[in-house]
Amino acid sequence: MAEMFAITQIPGAETGEIPPSPVDRDEKTAFIYSLVDPIWDIDTLPLTYTNSRWSAFFYRADEKHLRRVVPDCMDIEDDIVEYWYVDHNHTMLGPYGEMGVTVAASHKAGDGKTYYAGYYPYMYLTQDAAIDAGRVLGFPKKEAFIRALEHGGAPDDGYGVSDSKVYQFDYFSFLMIRNGYVLHSATGKYDDADLPAKPAFYGNTEYGRMNMKVVTTPDVASSEWQLVYLPSTVTKGLATLMGRPESEGSHRFQVKPESIRTASASSINWFTQATPYDNLGHELPPKELLGLMTFSFDLIIPAGEILWRETYTRDATWAGAAKPYRFGLRHRFPKPIGLGA
Amino acid sequence: MAQLNVTSVPWVDSGDAPPLALDRDKRDIISQGVADPLVDYDIVPLTYTNSRWSAFFYRADEKDLKHILPKCLELEDDIVEFWYVDHLHTGLGPYGEMGVTVSASCKSGDGNTYYGGYYPYMYLTQDAAVFAGREPFGFPKKIAYIVCQEHGGKEDDGYGGFGNDYFNFTMERRGYLIHTATGRYDDAELSAKPAFYGDPRYGRMNLRLITDPSLRTTKWDLTYLPSEVTEATANAMGRPETVGQHRFQLKPESIRTASANAIRSWVLAATPFDNCGAMMPVKELIGLMSFNFDLIIPGAQTIWHQEIQRSDEDLADLLFATPYQYTMRHRFPKPPGV
Repeated sequence: MAEMFAITQIPGAETGEIPPSPVDRDEKTAFIYSLVDPIWDIDTLPLTYTNSRWSAFFYRADEKHLRRVVPDCMDIEDDIVEYWYVDHNHTMLGPYGEMGVTVAASHKAGDGKTYYAGYYPYMYLTQDAAIDAGRVLGFPKKEAFIRALEHGGAPDDGYGVSDSKVYQFDYFSFLMIRNGYVLHSATGKYDDADLPAKPAFYGNTEYGRMNMKVVTTPDVASSEWQLVYLPSTVTKGLATLMGRPESEGSHRFQVKPESIRTASASSINWFTQATPYDNLGHELPPKELLGLMTFSFDLIIPAGEILWRETYTRDATWAGAAKPYRFGLRHRFPKPIGLGA
Repeated sequence: MAQLNVTSVPWVDSGDAPPLALDRDKRDIISQGVADPLVDYDIVPLTYTNSRWSAFFYRADEKDLKHILPKCLELEDDIVEFWYVDHLHTGLGPYGEMGVTVSASCKSGDGNTYYGGYYPYMYLTQDAAVFAGREPFGFPKKIAYIVCQEHGGKEDDGYGGFGNDYFNFTMERRGYLIHTATGRYDDAELSAKPAFYGDPRYGRMNLRLITDPSLRTTKWDLTYLPSEVTEATANAMGRPETVGQHRFQLKPESIRTASANAIRSWVLAATPFDNCGAMMPVKELIGLMSFNFDLIIPGAQTIWHQEIQRSDEDLADLLFATPYQYTMRHRFPKPPGV
């Protein structure tokens, strides 16, 4: 007979450190599936991030390229792109690596108001819960292999490196790979230069963040596009709900000024490419690389607001692969073994 | 310092890959980001060729099974299918998969009773397959580290002649082992199978929860996939000869089985991140059946629906109003990604 071993007790459940399954709660608290074991759950909300490390390359892009990647319901506000990596160490979704692109844009809403924001056409992360939580808010997240490394340039006694509060490292290396192809790699050494320009949304509280969410019905007969907006500051409602009234009006994104390092364009080695699976290298190539700014920060991400929506329907003549693509090229890549181990 | 930007997209010009999303009709975009969708329309309907399925069967306590089913479903059988799949050639690329299927039924508002294998748990090894399953259809997929291995039992000359007498399945997530099973096939007759095996009445069911960005509403959709290819799917695929065929085409010559005695080791653990080991423990292990198959997954039908609305007070219940101590669930090894 099989040697069987069953661990039926959930670590942390008996002490109240983790919530009960939604099947044992009021159904109003179930908001993500599976119903019995959601990919992320109520103990994550609102999403908070402590002492993450942001590394943002700035470059100018051609306005015709920017116009293509920003949806028709938005206007371009700036030609400087933020092309960023993040090393998240302590978040309500666990630790992970992230990469994304932010473009300054605006939307004239039906209420007559103009909303300004950093819009995200591309995002990549290293784990599933954070991808799904983001996608609920419309962030266009995919999964990739991501490395964000800073090291060297100062004595290292073996203590103080892991607390992530040491900002003396001089050298950097960033790398992203998906489905076997390198999308981007950049290496170099910080020179702490003044950068010639920054994106319009840097330091401007007028700018929130925007995403275009797509919700498709199970029968694939229609898709709704939803422009989702997140304001830049903590609203009274959010501050109250969090039980932190003192946070009302503060920026959701708190930069630690003492942690800033910069590298001028001449201190950076840079490689990007488009791949059969990811078109970023084609759609948003740099016209002029401006530099790199790295800093540590804390962040709160609240629920979003839908500013605009439009539905596209498909009748029986729409057939997806009835217009087949030859050889299934996009579906042949190294088999991933999944996360971890 | 140097710079290189390679801006051409491989094989778009030759038509091997579809035109860029921004060069197409917006109707053809089925997932975000709209500039570069996570899953795109060249996958629809999803097709799978020569995948290898390995299904452990076990009896579970009926009260455990009823506990994990949503209120719109009735339990039909106490035998659980606890399965791994090695997908080699699919419309979403190659990947590994693990899941649990329970026989259930739903009395729908249209007067019909729908039977289906319902999926409370699913794990995969890559993102496109996870989100193609989750977002339109409601498969409850997460990402995990998965190993499906068969080997040994015959001389191996290095040219594909390897044996498959021994098996090893392993799944890990967030640093915890969730399941592992090893053993050797003995090709025994298994004493029982789940109710949906060989019964075309049984389609497949998922419960999809779609929450709006404000968290004010959550739509619950019980989605249903019939077991056979419908006329609409056959026509959409341009393969009218497939009407009425089972969507899941098993290759009988590829079947191997292992009795419970031949399953050498079995470990199933609940973890702080994944509760299957607590919710669906084994009462009696019946055996393992492995086989190769082809599969088609079309668009799904919604057979039951409810919408939950949240007041300010309900919303507060979601936002730390009931805080959980120490956030133990959010400390795990940082994954480097797939």
